[in-house]
Amino acid sequence: MSERVDADALAGPPSGVKAHPLLRRRYLLPFALVLPIILYEGLLIVYPIVQGIFGSFTRIELASSAATTWVGWDNYERMFSDPAFWKVIRVTLLFTGLVIVVALTVGLLTALLFNRPFRFRPFARGMLMMPWAIPEVPVVMIFIWILSPQFGVVNILARMLPGVTKNPQWLQVPELAMGWMVLISSWKAFPFYSLVILAALQAIPQELYESARVDGANRLQLFWNITFPGIGSTLELLVVLAAIFSFKQFTIIFLMTGGGPSGTTETIVIRIFNTAFRFYDYSYATALGVAGFVVSLAVALVFIMMQVRRAEDSA
Amino acid sequence: MVAKLEDSSTAAAKIDARRLFNTALLYLTVAVVSLIIVFPVYWMMISTFQPSKYILRFPPPLLPQELYFAQFAELFSEHPIAKWLRNSFLIAVMTMLLCMALSVLGAFALSNLRWPGRNLFGLFLLVTQMLPEVLILIPLYILYRRLNMLNSIPSLALIDAAFILPICIWILKGVFDNVPPEVLDASVVDGCTELGALWRIVLPLSAPGLAAVAVVAFFFAWNEYLYAGIMLSSGEFMPASVGLSTLKAIAQTPVEQYMAAGLVFSVLPVLFYLVMQKYIVSGLTAGAVKG
Repeated sequence: MSERVDADALAGPPSGVKAHPLLRRRYLLPFALVLPIILYEGLLIVYPIVQGIFGSFTRIELASSAATTWVGWDNYERMFSDPAFWKVIRVTLLFTGLVIVVALTVGLLTALLFNRPFRFRPFARGMLMMPWAIPEVPVVMIFIWILSPQFGVVNILARMLPGVTKNPQWLQVPELAMGWMVLISSWKAFPFYSLVILAALQAIPQELYESARVDGANRLQLFWNITFPGIGSTLELLVVLAAIFSFKQFTIIFLMTGGGPSGTTETIVIRIFNTAFRFYDYSYATALGVAGFVVSLAVALVFIMMQVRRAEDSA
Repeated sequence: MVAKLEDSSTAAAKIDARRLFNTALLYLTVAVVSLIIVFPVYWMMISTFQPSKYILRFPPPLLPQELYFAQFAELFSEHPIAKWLRNSFLIAVMTMLLCMALSVLGAFALSNLRWPGRNLFGLFLLVTQMLPEVLILIPLYILYRRLNMLNSIPSLALIDAAFILPICIWILKGVFDNVPPEVLDASVVDGCTELGALWRIVLPLSAPGLAAVAVVAFFFAWNEYLYAGIMLSSGEFMPASVGLSTLKAIAQTPVEQYMAAGLVFSVLPVLFYLVMQKYIVSGLTAGAVKG
């Protein structure tokens, strides 16, 4: 992060008018530039959040034009005493945790593999990026078809397992449905992590490997003592990013299971949607939204603290 | 871990054999991994380009039996997919223009100018980028309902742009950071204003970055499903992401049409994302990792 133009230094030769320094035109320029952005994001992101926090303490009636009534902590008391809420939290943690592990492991392994020189590597890397570039809705369409209990191609593999004589109802069995949500979300997400890890791998100086090899280090030692420390901070960062991205995952789960069977894939974002737009319980959905907001803000703060630490380290 | 074995003058046949084995193993692994990764995409192609009589049996043949192209014409005549794509295109173009205009301002302030509050502005953008979209769906839906802004394409583009703008600014900041400061200083000494320098020097030097921002904003709106489904509930404005999700394979839509719809919708984003991946990655990681 290098400063390009110092607004103050660029203020030019002082003019005859003795204006307050803060009011000098050039000093105001950055603020004038970002003001529209802050207003825009403020109106469409921050204001709805504030509205949501306010709304979670009220009873919202959208159908009738009745004024919203203040209900205090009612929605929150209901939330914390609702066993369904704690189930949603468990499902969210399970899904998020599994996607982090699966997507990052696959991302790391493919990055290590694709970092080795071989012919057609650019082509292979292009293919690696495919799942990431395909929009979520077509991804859902592909997997609905692949998992079709009648004709789905995945059943060919399943039938090879001992004891499987008929095609499973992939999205009707809780464990299988959750497994597929994790696999599909990871399939969609891992190329991004792989690409970031590849960039980190390529930043490791080759001389380190050469001198270690001269000293007789084997491959495992090379990995643990050079590769792993070299990409360690990138991996840390990616764990947090993966947590944020998988916590946000909506479209794949919503379109494939809608949270079912019987709530076993209902993460908090799905629950919020269902509460509002299936059961029309806007106030309670808003309270759930505030709970989700607190969690994602906490994770975002971890990410930011890591960023700040990195900036300090490199300074 | 580069598989570059040391060349030794005493290269015995044993080492040669081992190297051959290692190479073969590497190619085999790459082939298997690539196959697993790409198989779902391959299966979409297979299911698109052959008549469904081949694929509607179990087990389906893994290789195409016959090529078939009429499904595209059928798809467009039996479903309002042209209208869906047109709506998606309009939403995406509006989002793109709005994002490009605002992200140039934001990135210039974040990258090329120094001012108190700059870091705070950067953090503000980071946080807005990390919140799940569904969290503000309900308040925003209520707001839009009260303001009578539901079922309008520009209203949806406003929301899409708000979500993707922070990432666009981070992408463009990374690009603006590469403009040599001397060039900028010189132009200011020559009597150029900062905005003049932005227009005449920074922007022309940052054409690929602007293209990346255009691609990211365009396809974010093109792909977006959640808000499109809620805010544009009337069929007239339905974009392709929502329209496609209403197609039901086998039951109502023949499989080759169903998969052809997915293919038609994916072609553009795949092409552009692959070309622009470097910039998109740096924006998504807020520049922490250069992709």
